[in-house]
Amino acid sequence: MDAKDIAPGTSVPLPAAEKTPFYYIEKPVTENRVDHLLRAFAAVLEFTDYKALLDSYCTSSAKCNRCAVSCPVYMVSGDPRDIPCYRTNILLEIYKRYFTIGGAIKARLSNGFELTEEVIDDMLEVFYRCTACRRCTQSCPMGVDHGLVTRLGRYILSLIGIVPKALQVSVREQLEGETHNTSKVPKEALLDTLGFLSDELNDMVGVKMEFPVDRSDRDYVFFCAVSDYLMEPDTLMGNAAVLYAAGDWDKWTIGTTNYDGINYGLFYSDWHLENIIKQLLAEVTRLRGKNILIGECGHASRSAHDFVPVFGGPTAQPVVSFIEYTLRCLREGRIKLDPNIITERVTYHDPCNVARSGWIVDQPREILRSFVPNFVDMTPKGQDNYCCGGGGGLVSIDEIHDYRMRIGGKVKADQLAKTGADIVIAPCANCKKQLKELVEYYELPCRVMGLHDLILRAIEIPGGKTPAERKEEAALMEM
Amino acid sequence: MNIEQWIDFAKGPLFALTFMIMALGLARHIVIQVYELVTEKGRRLTAAPWRKILNDAASWVVPVKQIMKGTPFFSSVSYLFHIGVIVVPVFLANHIVLWEKTLGIDLPSISPGWADFLTLFTLACVLVLLGFRIFGSRQRSMSRRIDYVLLVLIFLPFATGFLASHPSFNPFRWEVMMLVHLLSAELLFVVIPFTKLAHIVLFGFDRLSAVHWQLRPGAGDKVADALFGKEARV
Repeated sequence: MDAKDIAPGTSVPLPAAEKTPFYYIEKPVTENRVDHLLRAFAAVLEFTDYKALLDSYCTSSAKCNRCAVSCPVYMVSGDPRDIPCYRTNILLEIYKRYFTIGGAIKARLSNGFELTEEVIDDMLEVFYRCTACRRCTQSCPMGVDHGLVTRLGRYILSLIGIVPKALQVSVREQLEGETHNTSKVPKEALLDTLGFLSDELNDMVGVKMEFPVDRSDRDYVFFCAVSDYLMEPDTLMGNAAVLYAAGDWDKWTIGTTNYDGINYGLFYSDWHLENIIKQLLAEVTRLRGKNILIGECGHASRSAHDFVPVFGGPTAQPVVSFIEYTLRCLREGRIKLDPNIITERVTYHDPCNVARSGWIVDQPREILRSFVPNFVDMTPKGQDNYCCGGGGGLVSIDEIHDYRMRIGGKVKADQLAKTGADIVIAPCANCKKQLKELVEYYELPCRVMGLHDLILRAIEIPGGKTPAERKEEAALMEM
Repeated sequence: MNIEQWIDFAKGPLFALTFMIMALGLARHIVIQVYELVTEKGRRLTAAPWRKILNDAASWVVPVKQIMKGTPFFSSVSYLFHIGVIVVPVFLANHIVLWEKTLGIDLPSISPGWADFLTLFTLACVLVLLGFRIFGSRQRSMSRRIDYVLLVLIFLPFATGFLASHPSFNPFRWEVMMLVHLLSAELLFVVIPFTKLAHIVLFGFDRLSAVHWQLRPGAGDKVADALFGKEARV
């Protein structure tokens, strides 16, 4: 491919995308997409406040390409369209050409950028090849936040109907459906699951814990990614075990009107982001809860932590991540983790949404080091970590599984293999799903778990079986 | 006009005019940014994590950690290049006279030896950066015409300034060299506010992404109302 053909802002031939779209779209707009997109962009500029950011970025972006080497997608694909600055530039070019005076004048004088159907096809794909992990933002000398621009690009696309069906259907159920959650888990099924978890815990640790449901005036109202109720019972039992062992069993509750922490609005839409946050706040207010406790999930934690104050105002309830809560209990000596239980080599994957900002990096490591003798870190880690390849909602889009395995997650798979770990801890519903698929795809000799799955094995439960007894029982069961 | 008069013109009125264009152009960027931030973000500005923003920005002043990641050679050259383009034009002894005469500012000057070294070093850096743009496939794929042009525009005043102040290396008439030096620098002044070189002031605003993540409450609703009316929007 000649360099001229891939200059930023110009369209590139998309042989694959023309045959099959990158992802399924429910009701794609087929006519006049250019007009629709410009109308949507104009509305966004009128009512939101992205203008200052676009003005600044579109003048000063230096095209230095430092972002390229930090991008785990580009590292594998080598496709210039995956360079974060290329993707950002598409949106900046549209803004410059159609919404600034300078751009309008320039367009009269020369054959500059023009928004065409091909550019929209390009956007449709490149904005969803990015996992919105924001690693590039850290390497940009200007500080251009490619993650934020990608999100804005997706937002504008969503306003003309271009949004992966998988995300749209889930969000519709969450905001307008009867169950108010992305996995369509009805209240009855939730209660069944909680009963099942309670029985399992009883068998495992020998203590009956009835999950507190719809209790008012509790310290914590608990929200996890709702899919955890279907797919991650060990994480939830681990959460419960910590709350019970810490003596906080009568201080928390799960609401039955809304129990989903997932917020896909973080990935593609301001409107959805705000309304899902409001729905979550309504439930906490209904139960008169004092804090919002978010289970193991990267984007759920970030969307609540960062956007409850934005949309709920200064009086909104504080958001606590379950990892922070567990560490506090550990430091206060309210829970004890047996250091002789976990003999496997364990590593930790930082979910981008909580680690990139530096919010949750050391806390899980402090917890793990306290009871895992054979703990090993990946390189790079923490704020510098590589995305699992399923970020930005990509993991929920089944039709791009092949892309997520071969390109998005390749760097992570290599990184995992290098640690030689038996267990990789990923405290995030999205990362867990993606990493499990990666482990299977690349046949890596390790298991993917949540942080509290591991804690469940080593935590001492007052009045229950000891961790050593439980380990023995589990070994017998496996034989 | 003879060439001496041209030089006087370039040093006097033209310098004042082009410097003014640069100053006003950059001020315009600052005013627009501050205005947009204050009117659009309003009270949400106070909610932004300013300490973190400042810490992040400060980490780029001496970006050892950042330079070592990914592209150490390119980043080092780029960083050192910035030292040259800031220090030489501002603190060169001959320029200080100019600042004092036209702007009334008295600045300390660097020694001629340092000035020569930094000038040649900056020129070398420009050539390396140009080399990256031309021969690095990744960079070439992203480069616009202006990215090459700007490097040449920066190269010119440095090269001509060096030749003008070192007659033994200068194959041309001093006056010609001096005039080209003045005009090329003034061209750069004019270009700065209209190109990516405006990052002289905009880099500070680019770093405010944490502020921009403080989205405007209710805006999503208004956008949807404007586009779809009150229909279903999920």
